Amino acid sequence: MSHLLDRLNFLQSNELEKFSNGHGHVTRENRDWEDTYRNRWRHDKIVRSTHGVNCTGSCSWKIYVKSGIVTWETQQTDYPRTRADLPNHEPRGCARGASYSWYLYSANRVKNPLVRGRLMKIWRKMRETLDPIAAWTKLQADPILRASYVETRGKGGFVRATWDEATEITAAANAYTAKTYGPDRVFGFSPIPAMSMVSYAAGSRYLSLMGGVCMSFYDWYCDLPPASPMTWGEQTDVPESADWYNSGYLLLWGSNVPQTRTPDAHFYTEARYKGTKSAVICPDYSEAAKFGDVWLNAKQGTDAALAMAFGHVILREFHLDRQSEYFEDYTRKYSDFPMLVKLDEKDGKIIPGRFLRADDLDGKLGEDNNPEWKTVAYDETSKAFVAPNGSVGYRWGEDGEWNLEERAHEAETYLKMSLVLEEDHDDVLGVDFPYFGGEAYGQFATDADHPDVLTRNIPVKKIKSAQGEIAVATVFDLFCANYGLDRGLGGDWVTDDFSNDMPGTPAWAEKITGVPADKIAHVAREFADNAEKTNGKSMIIIGAAMNHWFHMDMNYRGVINMLVMCGCVGQSGGGWAHYVGQEKLRPQTGWQPLAFALDWNRPPRHMNSTSAWYAHTDQWRYETLKADEILSPTAPEGDWDISLIDYNIRAERMGWLPSAPQLKTNPLEVAKAAKNAGKEIPAYVAENLKSGNLEMSCEDPDNPANWPRNLFVWRSNLLGSSGKGHEYFLKHLLGTDHGVLGKDLGEDGGQLPKEAKWHKDAPRGKLDLLVTIDFRMSTTAVYSDIVLPTASWYEKDDMNTSDMHPFIHPLQAAVDPAYESKSDWEIFKSIAKKFQEITPGYLDKETDIVALPILHDTPAEIAQDQVKDWKKGECDLIPGKTAPAYVAVERDYTAIYDRFTALGPMLDKLGNGGKGISWDTQEEIDNLTALNGVQLDGAAAGRPKIESAIDACEIILMLAPETNGNVAVKAWKALSKATGREHAHLAEGEHGNKIRFHDIAAQPRKIISSPTWSGIESEKVSYNAGYTNVHELIPWRTLTGRQQLYQDHLWMLAFGEGFMSYRPPVDLKTITKDVQDEGDNLVLNFITPHQKWGIHSTYSDNLLMLTLNRGGPVVWISEVDAKSAGIVDNDWIEVYNANGALTARAVVSQRIKEGTTFMYHAQEKIVNTPGSEKTGHRGGIHNSVTRTVLKPTHMIGGYAQQSYGFNYYGTVGSNRDEFVVIRKMKKVDWLDKEKSWKAPAQEAAK
Amino acid sequence: MTQILNDRTLKALSLILSYPTCELQHAMPEIGAVLSSDTRLTAAARRALRPLVEELAVRDIYDLEEQFVLLFDRSRTLSLNLFEHVHGESRDRGGAMVSLVETYRDGGFDPATSELPDHLPVLLEFLATRPFTEAQDTLADAAHIFEALNARLVRRESLYGAVFACLMQLSGVKGDQEAVAEMLAQTDDDPSDLEALDEVWEESEVVFGPDPNAGCPQVRDMLARMNDPVNPTPLTAAE
Repeated sequence: MSHLLDRLNFLQSNELEKFSNGHGHVTRENRDWEDTYRNRWRHDKIVRSTHGVNCTGSCSWKIYVKSGIVTWETQQTDYPRTRADLPNHEPRGCARGASYSWYLYSANRVKNPLVRGRLMKIWRKMRETLDPIAAWTKLQADPILRASYVETRGKGGFVRATWDEATEITAAANAYTAKTYGPDRVFGFSPIPAMSMVSYAAGSRYLSLMGGVCMSFYDWYCDLPPASPMTWGEQTDVPESADWYNSGYLLLWGSNVPQTRTPDAHFYTEARYKGTKSAVICPDYSEAAKFGDVWLNAKQGTDAALAMAFGHVILREFHLDRQSEYFEDYTRKYSDFPMLVKLDEKDGKIIPGRFLRADDLDGKLGEDNNPEWKTVAYDETSKAFVAPNGSVGYRWGEDGEWNLEERAHEAETYLKMSLVLEEDHDDVLGVDFPYFGGEAYGQFATDADHPDVLTRNIPVKKIKSAQGEIAVATVFDLFCANYGLDRGLGGDWVTDDFSNDMPGTPAWAEKITGVPADKIAHVAREFADNAEKTNGKSMIIIGAAMNHWFHMDMNYRGVINMLVMCGCVGQSGGGWAHYVGQEKLRPQTGWQPLAFALDWNRPPRHMNSTSAWYAHTDQWRYETLKADEILSPTAPEGDWDISLIDYNIRAERMGWLPSAPQLKTNPLEVAKAAKNAGKEIPAYVAENLKSGNLEMSCEDPDNPANWPRNLFVWRSNLLGSSGKGHEYFLKHLLGTDHGVLGKDLGEDGGQLPKEAKWHKDAPRGKLDLLVTIDFRMSTTAVYSDIVLPTASWYEKDDMNTSDMHPFIHPLQAAVDPAYESKSDWEIFKSIAKKFQEITPGYLDKETDIVALPILHDTPAEIAQDQVKDWKKGECDLIPGKTAPAYVAVERDYTAIYDRFTALGPMLDKLGNGGKGISWDTQEEIDNLTALNGVQLDGAAAGRPKIESAIDACEIILMLAPETNGNVAVKAWKALSKATGREHAHLAEGEHGNKIRFHDIAAQPRKIISSPTWSGIESEKVSYNAGYTNVHELIPWRTLTGRQQLYQDHLWMLAFGEGFMSYRPPVDLKTITKDVQDEGDNLVLNFITPHQKWGIHSTYSDNLLMLTLNRGGPVVWISEVDAKSAGIVDNDWIEVYNANGALTARAVVSQRIKEGTTFMYHAQEKIVNTPGSEKTGHRGGIHNSVTRTVLKPTHMIGGYAQQSYGFNYYGTVGSNRDEFVVIRKMKKVDWLDKEKSWKAPAQEAAK
Repeated sequence: MTQILNDRTLKALSLILSYPTCELQHAMPEIGAVLSSDTRLTAAARRALRPLVEELAVRDIYDLEEQFVLLFDRSRTLSLNLFEHVHGESRDRGGAMVSLVETYRDGGFDPATSELPDHLPVLLEFLATRPFTEAQDTLADAAHIFEALNARLVRRESLYGAVFACLMQLSGVKGDQEAVAEMLAQTDDDPSDLEALDEVWEESEVVFGPDPNAGCPQVRDMLARMNDPVNPTPLTAAE
C-alpha cells in the first residue's frame, strides 16, 4: 500500500509544531539574535552596592562587572524574610537606580582634579619660590590676584591638576585660614551620613581634627520637622514602611508614596489588598491621590486648618460626648494632657503661661532635685498636687524615677485630665487664645471675619503659692478650648455644631481649605474609629509638602495632636510616618566617634546651616518679614520688635544656637591670651565678652574678620539643589555673576537690624576657596575653585541605612574608581596627609577654644527655665548656663594624618554613648585592636588602624549597639539606671551577634534593638517610633517626659504657638513694583515637590530620565492659569521675583490646582537652560526664586527638648510661602555664543 | 620604543590630542616634523596642522590647558571617548569597552592609564604599534566620528579640527554620510557659559532592544514634537 496519497508533499501541518495545548509552537527561524542577549547579560562577577542619593529607598543592588567594567545593575532579591503574614521587602529599586551605571562612564563625569586656571597659574608661579603656606598667604594678601579667580567662578576656565597639587592648595588654604582667622573659618558641608556614612565621616573627621566646622543639613533641607523635637524630644523617629501593612487606616498627607517612595510603595498596595482604608490629602491630583478611597484636595498651605477641624471632630466624638476608654487611658499616661498650666494676667487679660512646676508650690512638693524642672498634675488618688515621674527634672541629678509609671516617686497616682466638673474647679475664667486666620492674604483670604484674640471659658483650680494666689488649668481643658469645643461652660468662641463657622470647626475649615465639611468630619471619624477599635493602628504618612512652609510646626503639630488623641504613637501600624530624607543613621553611636573624631578631641564644631547661610550669604540684608508680622497679639511683655537676624544673634549669645565663626578673634589667639593672663579659658572668655574686648562674630557677619574663608562641599550639590537663596550665594558668598533683582534694606529704606551691624556696602566674594568633591560636574562643581573627582557608588566601600527598612547594607567597590578619581575616604586622607606635611613650624600643638551651645540630652539641657540675656544685664554671663560653654581643645596640627588613620584614646577614658546615656567600651576597642591591627609608628602608634574605608566600617559596626549585640546589652543596662526599669530583655540573646562588613556584603542584615531609637526589632512587631516609650515606659525626652502638646517657653508664647493653630502662609513681599514688569499678571504660589525622574539633582542630568520627562527643567501650571497668561503646553516660560529668575518649559495640566505652580526640586542648571530675559544670565535653578527666612521659635535653646542638637533642633530652610510671576518668554536665547552671552552679563554686573 | 612603534604619525596624533603639558610643548617641533613629512597626508592637511603645532609649542600652557578641558573634558559633543559618540549612555557601552580592552590584550598590551579604553589617544597609540593596513581598518570604522568632530571643531574655529582631517585621510574612506549627518544634527554644547550640555541632552534618544539604532518610535516622535516649542526659537539673542 502506498502512502503517497496520504502524505503531504508540499505542505506540512503545523499541528505537529504546537505544544502546551496549542499555546506554544515551534519555529525554525534563525536564532542568532539570541546571541545579542547572551552577550548583553554576560559578566565576570556580581557585587552588592547601592545608591547614596538621599532618597530613603536604600535599596541593595547587584552590580554586574565584565573585564573590570560595570555593564549593568539589577535589584537584589535576598533581603532576610519578614515574619509570617507580612509581605517581604524585595524587590526594592526603581528606574532611577537602574539607570545609575550610565553615570560611571558619562561625559559629565569629573575625570581629573580640576583647578580654576587662573588660580593654578598664580599658584605654580608662586610655588617656584615659596612654600605652600607662604604662597597662599601672598596670594590672599593681593586683592587683585584674589579677585582674578574669585570673579570667574561659574564661568569655566578649569585646568587639570595632579592630586598632589590640588591637595596642597587645599591644605595650605586650610592651614593659613586656621592660623590667620581661626579654624572655625573652615566650613564643610555634606549631608545625610546614612546614605554613605564613611564618605561623610571622611570629611567631618578631617575637619574635626583640625577644628573646622561641620555644617548641619537636615534642618537646612527643611526635612527636620521642629514639631518632632518639640513634642517628643527626638529629631525624627518613624515606622519602617513594612509597618504600613499593619495599619488599619492610612492617611497620606502631602506624601506622594508611589512617586517618591517607589521601592516601598508595594507595602501601601499590599495593605490596601488586605482591606486597609486610605485617605489622601494633597492639593494636586497626584499619583498617590489615585490610591485613595477618598481624596481631599485641600488648598496648599492650609493643612493646619484641616488638621484642626479633624481634631475638633475627634475630640467632640471620642473624648467629650463619649469618652473612648483606650484614648482616655493613653492620653493620661503618655501625653501632657493632665499637666497643669499657670494662667497669667496681662493688662486684665488672662493667657496660658508656663507649666506649673514643683518649684511654684509651697514646700516644692518635697522635691530637692530640679524642682523648677518637674511639672505638676492633680492626683485623684491622693487628692493632691503631685510631680509625676518622668519629667526632665527626674532625668538629671537622680536615678531610677525617670519613667512613665503612674507614680510620683513611691506613691501611685491617677492623674486628672479635666477640671470641667463642678466639684473639680474653683472658678471658670475667660482665657485668651490668639487667632491668626485673619492675617491670611491674597488667595488665602476668606470672607470670614474673626478677631485676632478669642476668649474662651476655662475651668481652673486656684492655689496659694509663694507668689500669691495662682490659677491653673489642665492642658486638656485648654487644648479643647483651643479647638473651639463647647464644654457647657458658656462663653464665646466655642460650639457644639460642626456647621458653625467658628475657628476649629469643619465648616470653618471648609472656607479655608476648600474641602467640604462633611468629608472632613467623615475622615476624622473613620480615622479615630479605626484607632479606637485597633488600639491605635491609624497612621499618617507625611512629607516635605507639609514641612516646607514657614509655619510647618502648625501643620505638623495638628497632625501629631490627632495621633496622640487617638493613641496611635508607639503602636505598630499607627503613628507619625514622616519620610523626608534618609535621616536614619542606624548605627549612629558607633559612627559619631569616627565622624567627629571624638576619639581624639571633644567637642567637635557643629553649626546649624540655616542660620549660617542666612548670615553669610547676606540673605538677612534683604529680609522682608518683620517680627511683628508673626508675633502673637497675646505676646507677653518683651523687646520683640527686632529683626529676624537679631533673634538669631540673641539665641547665639544665650547659648541656644551654635556660632561659626564664633568670635571675631581667632580662638587660637584667645587661648594664648588667656594663658598669658594666667586665667582659665571659660572665665577669660566670659570676662572679655562682658567687657567688649571679645565680640561674637554673629553680631557683625559682614566684617571680613567674620567671613567663612574655606568651604568644602562633598556628597552634595549645595548650589544646584539645596541652596535656598541661590542667587544670594552667588552674589555675596562667591562674589560672581548673580540674578538678585531686589534691593537690600539699606537701599530700600527698610528697618535695619538692631543687633547686627550694618555695612552700607555688602561684601562680595567672602570665600577664599571653594572645594567641591563630586563624581559629576554638578552646578556646585562649576562654581568651585577646585573640583576633586570622587569615586562613584559602585567604586567605593561604605555603608547605607534608612528609616524605611531595618537593614544595614553596603556600598562596595565593584570596580576601581574610573579615571583619576578616589573615594571620599582616600581624598580626605590625602588632604590630611598633605596638611601634616606642610604645617609643622607654622601650626604645631595649639589650644583651640570651641564655643558649645547648650545641648539636648545632656545635663546642661535644663539650663534656662527663664529667658535672660546677659548682655542686657538680666543675668551674669555663666558659660554653659547663660551663654555658650567655652571649652579648651588641644589640637596637634602636626599629627592630623596620624590621628585620622587611627582610633584615638579618648574612648578608652570616656566610653561611648548617645542621647543621654553612656557605657564603657574598652572591650570593643580591644576587639578593634585585634581586628584592624595597630599603627606601628607616628603620633598614633599602638592605636587601632583606620587605613581603609573597610577599617572605618568595622569601627562603626563594632562600636554601635545596633550592630554589636554586646554593646546593645550594655546600652540598655545604662538606660535602666535612669529609668529604674529593666530593659536588657530587648537585646536578649544578642550578646554574641556582631555584624561585620563582610556579613553585610553577603546579605543585608537587620539591626539589633537599641536605646538610641524608640522602636524595636522583633519577631512580633515592625519597627515603629515611640514603641519603647509606650511599652517600656521610657519617658519621651521632653520637659514633661510625655508627648508634649503644649509648649510653654516664653518665645513660643510670644509667637502664639503654645498650642497648635492655623497660621496662613506668610507674605514675603517678593513681587514688588520694581520687579514686576507691566503686563505680567500671573502670580502663583511656588511649590517644589520631588519628582519622578530624579532624586534631587541626581538623575536630573541623566539622559534616560530626561527623556522620560521633558528633557530639561519644567514648571507645572493649571489650565486656567496658563490660559490667563497665554501660555500653552511646552512653551518656554520665565519665572521670577525679587530673589531672581529661572527659565523652564511649561507643563499645562489639569493635575495642578489653580493658584499654584510646581517646579520639581533640583533640576540642574547645567542642563538645557536658556538665558533669562530678566537677569541677562543663564536661567537659575528652583532656588533662584527663594530666600531663607528664619523663625525665632526654632532658635529656642537651653530648655529641655528645646535645646540645640546637630540636625536636631534649630532654624530650618522653609521655602513654600514664596510667590512668583510667570510669563511666556518672548525669545529663547541659549547663551551659547560668546557675544550674546557676555553683553547682558556685563550689563547686569553694573 | 621605536621597535614597538610602527607608525610615528599615529603616535604623533595621539600626543597632539593628549592633555597639553610642558613636556609636550618641548616635543612639539619633533612632533611637527613627523607630521609634516608624512606623505600619506595631503599637503593641504599638513599645512592645516601647522598653526596647531605652532600654538601647542608656544602658547601659554594654562591657556592651552583651559582650552583642552573646555573642549574635550567638558563638551560632550567633542568627547575624545569614541563610544560616547557611538553608544552614548546606552548599556552597550560597557560591552564595547570590554571588547576593546580585549583587542589591546590580544595585541600584546595591557592598558596602563586611568583613561578608559575608548579614549582616542589610547586607541591611536595602540594603532601606532599595528601594521598600517590593520590600523586603517580600525580608523575607517570611526571615520564618521572624525568627520563630525572635524566639522564641529571647525565650526568653533578651533585649530584642533585639523587633527581630525588628518585622521579622515589616514582612514582612507569617507565616513558614512548618514551617520555624519546624524551626528552633526546635534547641537554643539558650549560649556563656556555654564558648561551646558543643552540640546544634546534632549535630542539623543533612548535605545531599546537588540538593535541600538532602532530606537523607540513613540519616544522619538514625542521628542521631535517637543523640540518645536510653540513659541519658536530664534537663533541668537540679536534677532
